[in-house]
Amino acid sequence: MADRKALQAEMISGHSGASPGLGMQRDLEVCKLVDTTTCIGCKACEVACAEWNDMPFTPTTFDNTYQTMPETRWNFWNLIKFNEHQNPDGTIQWLMRKDQCMHCADPGCLAACPADGAIVKYANGIVDFNQENCIGCEFCVSGCPFEIPRFNPMTKKVYKCTLCSDRVGEGLEPACIKACPTGCLKFGSKDDMKYIAEERAKQLRDNFGWQNAGVYDPQSVGGTHVIYVLHDATDPERYSLPKNPTIPWSYTVWKWLFKPVLGTFALFGFLGVIAHYITSGPRVAQPEPPEKEGPDAGINV
Amino acid sequence: MPASTSSSVERFDDKARNAFEHAGKTTVYRGELLRHPVYTRVLHWAVALFFFLALFTGFGIYLPWLFRWFTPFFGGGPLSRVMHPYFGVGFVFCFGLQALNWLKPMIWTAADSRWMRNIKGVVSGEEKMDPPDTGFFNAGQKVQFWEIVGGCVVYLITGVVLWAGARTFGRIPVAVSYVLHDISALIMLGGIFIHIYLSTIGEPGTFQSMIRGAVSEAWAWTFHPAWYKQVTGRDPQQDCEEARRKMNSSTKPPKQS
Amino acid sequence: MTNGWIDIKNTDMMLIMGGNPAENHPCGFKWAIEAKIHRNAKTIVVDPRLTRTAANADMYVQIRAGADIAFLGGVIKYAIENNRIAKDYLVNYTNAAFIIKDGFSLPEDGLFSGFDAEKKVYDKKTWNYEEGGDLAGKPVVATPADKPTPPLAPGATPPAPALPPNIAFDLSLQHPRCVYQLLKKQYERYTPEMVERITGIPQDQFLKAADLFTSVRKDGDMKKVATIIYAVGWTQHSFGTQIIRTAAMLQLLLGNVGRAGGGVNALRGHSNIQGATDMAGIFDILPGYLKMPNPTDVDLAAYLKRTTPLVAKPDPWESFNYWSNTSKFAVSLLKAFYGPAATKENDFAFNYLPKIDRNYSWVNIWNDMYEGKVKGLFAFGMNGVMIGPDSNKNIDALKKADWLVVCEIYPDETSEFWRAPGITAEDQKKINTTVYRLPGAGFAEKDGTFVNSARWLQWKNIALPPPGQARLDQEILATIFLKVRELYKKEGGKFPDPVLNATFAYTNPHNPLLAEVAREINGKALADITDPKTNITIKAGQQLPGFAWLKDDGTTISGNWLYCGSWTEAGAMMQRRGTDDPSGLGIYPNWGWSWPANRRVLYNRASCDMEGKPWDPSRRQVWWDDAKQSWVGVDVPDFKVDSAPKDHMGPFIMNPDGIGRLFVPLSGMQDGPFPEFYEPIESPLANLLHPKQSNNPVVKKYKTDMDKYAKTGDTEFNIICTTYRLTEHYHYWTKNNPMNVELVPEPFVEVPAELADRMGIRGGEKVKVTSARAYYIAKAMVTRRIRPMKIDGKETFQIGIPIHWGFRGIVEDEGKTAKTLANQLTPTVIDPNAFTPEFKGFLVKIEKV
Repeated sequence: MADRKALQAEMISGHSGASPGLGMQRDLEVCKLVDTTTCIGCKACEVACAEWNDMPFTPTTFDNTYQTMPETRWNFWNLIKFNEHQNPDGTIQWLMRKDQCMHCADPGCLAACPADGAIVKYANGIVDFNQENCIGCEFCVSGCPFEIPRFNPMTKKVYKCTLCSDRVGEGLEPACIKACPTGCLKFGSKDDMKYIAEERAKQLRDNFGWQNAGVYDPQSVGGTHVIYVLHDATDPERYSLPKNPTIPWSYTVWKWLFKPVLGTFALFGFLGVIAHYITSGPRVAQPEPPEKEGPDAGINV
Repeated sequence: MPASTSSSVERFDDKARNAFEHAGKTTVYRGELLRHPVYTRVLHWAVALFFFLALFTGFGIYLPWLFRWFTPFFGGGPLSRVMHPYFGVGFVFCFGLQALNWLKPMIWTAADSRWMRNIKGVVSGEEKMDPPDTGFFNAGQKVQFWEIVGGCVVYLITGVVLWAGARTFGRIPVAVSYVLHDISALIMLGGIFIHIYLSTIGEPGTFQSMIRGAVSEAWAWTFHPAWYKQVTGRDPQQDCEEARRKMNSSTKPPKQS
Repeated sequence: MTNGWIDIKNTDMMLIMGGNPAENHPCGFKWAIEAKIHRNAKTIVVDPRLTRTAANADMYVQIRAGADIAFLGGVIKYAIENNRIAKDYLVNYTNAAFIIKDGFSLPEDGLFSGFDAEKKVYDKKTWNYEEGGDLAGKPVVATPADKPTPPLAPGATPPAPALPPNIAFDLSLQHPRCVYQLLKKQYERYTPEMVERITGIPQDQFLKAADLFTSVRKDGDMKKVATIIYAVGWTQHSFGTQIIRTAAMLQLLLGNVGRAGGGVNALRGHSNIQGATDMAGIFDILPGYLKMPNPTDVDLAAYLKRTTPLVAKPDPWESFNYWSNTSKFAVSLLKAFYGPAATKENDFAFNYLPKIDRNYSWVNIWNDMYEGKVKGLFAFGMNGVMIGPDSNKNIDALKKADWLVVCEIYPDETSEFWRAPGITAEDQKKINTTVYRLPGAGFAEKDGTFVNSARWLQWKNIALPPPGQARLDQEILATIFLKVRELYKKEGGKFPDPVLNATFAYTNPHNPLLAEVAREINGKALADITDPKTNITIKAGQQLPGFAWLKDDGTTISGNWLYCGSWTEAGAMMQRRGTDDPSGLGIYPNWGWSWPANRRVLYNRASCDMEGKPWDPSRRQVWWDDAKQSWVGVDVPDFKVDSAPKDHMGPFIMNPDGIGRLFVPLSGMQDGPFPEFYEPIESPLANLLHPKQSNNPVVKKYKTDMDKYAKTGDTEFNIICTTYRLTEHYHYWTKNNPMNVELVPEPFVEVPAELADRMGIRGGEKVKVTSARAYYIAKAMVTRRIRPMKIDGKETFQIGIPIHWGFRGIVEDEGKTAKTLANQLTPTVIDPNAFTPEFKGFLVKIEKV
């Protein structure tokens, strides 16, 4: 079990309002930095992820690419995406980007999830799935702008990268970070990682001719706890990253506003008929027996 | 007395109805009228069963923190989620048959509009009897019927989207479907309270129409006078007054048709 | 590697060519990235494919496989013409100023002087320095013809030509026959136009790359350093050694050798291939790169005379000539081999050593077996059928053997050669080879050392015990050895002495501890020995602290002089785990142990100018301390520590001339003192420099019925094919591991999109690649990362095949692959210097299955 301090719940799916103990302790927000400009696509992170999380192997098939599989799987949370991008001058840029949960500050999965406690966002920024409470509705899949949660048809539950909350809770770095041979993966506080990322982007702009180098930390989901350094931050789509990831408004509005309101209305249906019975009474087939007259007749108040 | 085709309700599928009549039995005693034949009743309860199964499994998805206690009946949250669409399909299918069965009596008429204008009197109970032109179904029932028809369409479309998921239909359709599906369910949920209330304690004598299939003549002339007139050929008002007279003078059952 | 893995972080410029470190050395590649991040170092990748290394480069240049010398020669020309050279370094630390014999001629027609067309060898006597001191300003005169040699005694072999003791030189580099002028002339032909025609690299790209790489010497600045990184993409050619030579020359020209962040760096493809080489995993050397005796070495003296070089240098200069200690290394080795049986009286049992009469390299072993001369084979930790070249020939060779012993951790293609695809049950009945399969232990199941590319000896511990019946290699080998010895003891035999007298004094001779073996390799004193200078004494039986203590009188033993110092009285230096790095240069002097003498950068004297001051004060490695009158520094000086700069001792102390060789005199190289561009044996076109001498003139081709080669410019086989490894797999055994198989499940062929379009091939469809020898079937990976090239104006395609899959493995056993081997395609032809087969760059055709 994770250390309480390191993993302090901040948001819990299916719960509105503050979580117990929130704000009692201050904690650093953690962050994983992926420098795509120094990633060599060696897949050590993929292996480390599968090994640490004890994932069963699943067969893959050759798909005209070096990419291990077309997309992450319920038992393969960390996938390097290989993209061949053709520059306007005809040269090819072979881009490798480690794809995994972004651990959004404003997680779409959590917003969409109806099951209480199935998705937890810790105060350190980790968004974790608690399969014990997952009901397998897959709304998180549609809530996520990064196509991350994956349904396991055997357990009927949804899985994704935990940012190794089990390791981080014990003060260790995530498995992928530990395995990365080139140091293109870094782990630390969000502030530090942001600083390093911006410095690296500046270096790429100033010394390596990547005029559009920048950091991918989309504010449309409140920033993420996995950030990328990109050669060209103006075009994240070439790395198969959404330019402007968003959470469908319907989830937030529906879940936090209309769901309780309309639910109450439905409840009013129940209360309404009871009230009707008590106040008006039933309508009965006619003719009714004549109303009783005299002292013990009903009193109209 | 065996059910006869003399009922004024024109049914969609006589073949199915006949088959069900053989499988079941509707006894109509003296002073009663055949209200719902076996086929209709079977469909009704099939719809009800699937509705509640879908409702209770749906609760576990809709608000697990409140309704988690439903889920163990279905083998837990994930299995509830797995079964819910099958229940939903059962509900929509059965209701679809019922809708075809009832399509004609559910057609909206000018009388229904008048009924709706007069709804306050009916709800408040000031009007002891429904307006004389109230037919086999009154306008309230028709509203609910058409609401369920509409709801089923919504369920079906959004349900398929949700069932196949964001991986097939994309994130936004799922997100929108999720909301529409819920709203549809909530409206239906509100409706079902009224339906159950009115068919049981709200209007005593109604429930047996879906149990035994027969209703008393008094019930019929009270709540569906036009239908009474149609099937008996008598004037409901007169019969009611006659019954009242008889009740007030002595106790003799109303004459049978 | 002249430098080391970590040292790459000190560089300013990387030229990665003939190697793919990001894919095949991902852990080491971190240091290239460190250089990028901390030094803004630039990377140039020159490769036939846009690899994962190229994806990380600042500049990627697509080259035709095998055209490397043309590219590098062009860069040499560019550096000279644009004065991007390290003038002082060149004059003082290389043989640029040395004058070459009259009669030496450059290969303008493809041949250097002295070629014997019949025997296909060079007479190298003109490949030598002129004698005579400083010739600067003196009129150029023809040197006298060779002195008449005294008549030979009948039957005696003529003495090999030797380097002159007093080399002629011209420090102004103006003499027309000085190495610098010859070098300039040699590469004059490698114009950007010629480079474009040969390599397929457009001129503007080539010039950009040449400019970028040589920019470290812009305006004579000596501070910046560039490194060259390569691997088997260079070695596996019929002129592989010469490609590396070209790189070394370029680095000498730019003054990058010996310096932190510089050097010529070979990336080893196995965790311990460096150790295998050091310990004589090759037929023509003994441990520590001592030469193997040959039949002319009638006694130890003759052997030492032949193999010990004499100092040859310009008179005013000094030369350490460290190989002058050969006798100490050799005698200590013999004492280690034969112990008390090796005495001064019997020449330290020199005659126990086998004498090699010809070439016994890899391809020759298989060729001999194919011809029925080799009857049995021990295959330990290698899969000879998969390795090739021409795997079918190896399979057929094994059919002719009497026996085969395979020690492996998985059932492999070699031990199951008899069930290779195409061999029917009927055929199998005719195979009489007895196969013994021994269950070996995996790398994590044994302790011992790995010697990495940086020459570091690093001890590793056992992670898991070997499973089931698996045994440690040393246990298996010791058991076999003791049994053989027993048989010799019992039955005598032709020459039992070497076996009977071999030292095998381990605590448990049936399963020797590797720590004991490591101590033995380090060596110890057999008698008390005292250093007269310091008066320090090593007692008999004590471990030696370094190879400077080795003696040629039989009082020391050492199993490998280069490893002397790795396990001393102070303990196992190879087991050290000190992480202190006071200099910040990544030297880590207390981590493991690096041969020689824990020196991390070879030739590090050259990191200083003539006064002994570092070229770049911010990367100080060693320097001359005037007060101490000694070389000191953060690294161990690779030099005579008390040789003052004014003595002008050459920094390349292993060469008898003491300098870095732009020109390799005499028998250093078989195919020329300067590298010349030759076409691969199978090439789509004739050599544009000299079409009549298209290939390496001294290359060895084989003549059995199996050895078929495509013609130059073959119309049928007109696609260039190269082979390589993937990050996700390790040679031929990770195909048995589900995780690796999940990462890359199936064999494939990388096909340029344009070629695929033309052939109607879509990604994922099966294609058949056929060479003059065999075919290979796998799915096509259609990619834009390999572009069509214009070679001499003609559109030419290259394809690539990863080598990993065979006919045993997870997917193979599931029947999901065609079970063909990549190396069934490759030609049996070897580099004349290192005898490495030409796996990179041969001709094929491709068709849809």
